[in-house]
Amino acid sequence: MRMTQGIRLAVVLGLLASGTACSGGEGASGDGKVQLTLLSHYGSHPAKDGLDKMLEQWNKENPDIQVKSEVVKFDDLLTTLTVRQTGGRGADIVSAYGLWGGQLQKANVLAKVPDDVAKGINSKYSPAALGAVTTGGTLLGYPTELNTYGLFYNKKILAAAGVTKPPATWAELQETAKKVAKRDAKGNVQVEGLSLIQDGDNKSAHPFLSLLDSAGGTFLGPDGKAQFDNAQGKSALRLEADLAAAKATDPSISPVKQFRSGGVAMAIQAGWWVGSLKTQMAGKYSDVGVAPIPGPTAGSKGSLAYGFFMGVNQRSKHSEEAWKFLAWLNDHQTDSGVTGMGQYLADMGLIPPRTADAATLKKSLKDPNLVPIYDAAEYAMPEPNMPGAYEAKTALHNSIMTVLSDGKSPDEALAQAAKAVKPQ
Amino acid sequence: MTTAESTLRAEAPRATASARQGFHREGRAAYLFLAPSLLFFCIFLILPFLFAVVLAFSDWGGFDLGTIEWAGLKNFSDVLRFDGTFVKPILVNTLLFAFGSVALATIGSVLVAYCIDRLSFQGFWRVLYFLPVVATVVAIGNVWKMMYQPAGLINGILNKLGANSIGFLSDANYALPAVTVVHAWASIGGAVLILTAGLKSIPEMYYEAAEVDGANTWRMFWQITLPLLRPSLLFVLITQFIGGLQSFALIIVMTTDGGPVNATNVAAFEMYQQAFKFGAWGTASAMAMVLFVVILVITLLQLYVARRRGEETS
Repeated sequence: MRMTQGIRLAVVLGLLASGTACSGGEGASGDGKVQLTLLSHYGSHPAKDGLDKMLEQWNKENPDIQVKSEVVKFDDLLTTLTVRQTGGRGADIVSAYGLWGGQLQKANVLAKVPDDVAKGINSKYSPAALGAVTTGGTLLGYPTELNTYGLFYNKKILAAAGVTKPPATWAELQETAKKVAKRDAKGNVQVEGLSLIQDGDNKSAHPFLSLLDSAGGTFLGPDGKAQFDNAQGKSALRLEADLAAAKATDPSISPVKQFRSGGVAMAIQAGWWVGSLKTQMAGKYSDVGVAPIPGPTAGSKGSLAYGFFMGVNQRSKHSEEAWKFLAWLNDHQTDSGVTGMGQYLADMGLIPPRTADAATLKKSLKDPNLVPIYDAAEYAMPEPNMPGAYEAKTALHNSIMTVLSDGKSPDEALAQAAKAVKPQ
Repeated sequence: MTTAESTLRAEAPRATASARQGFHREGRAAYLFLAPSLLFFCIFLILPFLFAVVLAFSDWGGFDLGTIEWAGLKNFSDVLRFDGTFVKPILVNTLLFAFGSVALATIGSVLVAYCIDRLSFQGFWRVLYFLPVVATVVAIGNVWKMMYQPAGLINGILNKLGANSIGFLSDANYALPAVTVVHAWASIGGAVLILTAGLKSIPEMYYEAAEVDGANTWRMFWQITLPLLRPSLLFVLITQFIGGLQSFALIIVMTTDGGPVNATNVAAFEMYQQAFKFGAWGTASAMAMVLFVVILVITLLQLYVARRRGEETS
């Protein structure tokens, strides 16, 4: 009886709390001005400076709709979003990773994109960018960051091993990785042939999905069911298993730390890495090359595209103003003939998701390493983002690691990962 | 019946009523004084616990409390599936991590406390061993992470000794023992403090009498120190064990994702991931309930064993 009363009390208090949790942002002030909040992970240079500059321009031109930027680290973004939204202090505009889209949509966090805005977005953005921020046919917001994967390689290391051009097939990839991998007598890795992991979330999943795409496979179906436990998936994971068995790849090596010092010869990484390497390697950046991720046969290639988007909080009291601001943020033109957002993303080494921006900027790319990254937006597999996709990707990552770390059979690992995928 | 007797009998109910009134007044005052603590307890412990119980039987993706849906026992059946990952390896890892770190920390702290009790500058030694408790988990985790790296201090020593490098945090066979050792190392300081106090409370005359009877140091340790230290040891065991079962901050710092291949994933970390990463609050709450039962059973067992031996916590 007491337990029942306690549960009732908890539910009542929970509902009371939900009653208080119905406002977004800071709202309107007494003088009729609207104050919007924008939560993002653009908190460090150069991302912060670029965004602040655009906000400053908007705030100057629109004294009645002021926008305040709130930033957290990417690792804390989803947690912050969850806690603030549940506590009734969600931002009016949220910048989120496309993979979280289904989860956010299911939990009624995002407002529906107005039809006219959606129509404009669907006609102006690349298929990869749209795919990464669309869940079950529903667009979540304006696509912003778009990343595709490429094969990064150290020209000097490859040249020293007699390899003059980057691998163009899986066979060449295997051969080169094995040729350039080096260990000392104690087994310590001196040069890793091909890195198949990345720092951050789900380390091994994205490189594998890029290889899977190059073999013509897919990750999840539109219903969220696993599609990777087939011939294409097995061939891609067998390739990784072969490299691990030959000690040409080692998941204990962090490419982000080791590539710049010559400890990694090749790595499957996202486009944002170009900007990072430029800063970290300075003069030695000229040693870096980027090529399309090869497929099993000559001419085949693959990549994964993941994106971010900016959407409006369903609880925002000023959604109209928020959409107005987002339209400006993503549409306003600069003197260089591209949108402000496109230029902002390009300045960070990212691909502008808008087709016209990408086409214009591609013509004047100073860094040839960005060409394969831009090109990949045309053929990359968009990362699925329906509810349950994040969990599916984690299950896939865990299974891949059993192959790379423990030498488990690739076929068994894929079957196990497929079993763990729970469509929602 | 005398007049005095009848007067007394007449006044007795009045006295009882007056005492009851006083008691009620005192009771009200006591509850008034207790109110802030009770309110704190209700808001931060009882309410979240009840909310977690409700969520354990519900489907909720977070964010909007209005979207909570009743799910019955589905979350528990998902969590306790033997072909899932929660029971094995996650719950097994949790128990191994807790048992391992408690065993190592307890043995280590008994030895350290026993040695400190026989040294000069005891305050200095106690401070030295207590420092890891004061240091943040992030700092400790990162320092040990560097030492465990392929080119780190520990592998450097192994290489000097002619052994090959070990992937302490990248090899699924070594990762859990590697983080368990660090957790035990970081917990020794607190246990040393309690055990040193326990050692101080053992009367010196027992050791003097044993010495007269010809007992050596080893025998005195087994037959005097250890039995009389049991109440402090029990406290240390229970608190360390609960801490070990709930801990995951060190694992996040050292392995980022409970890897490799879930090798260091523990229940508390999985709960965090389910709730904040995947938005599966019902699953996370069901896991919390399972962990709650596990901790309760183990703690009751520890108390039962200690009471059968006539011990209580100090």
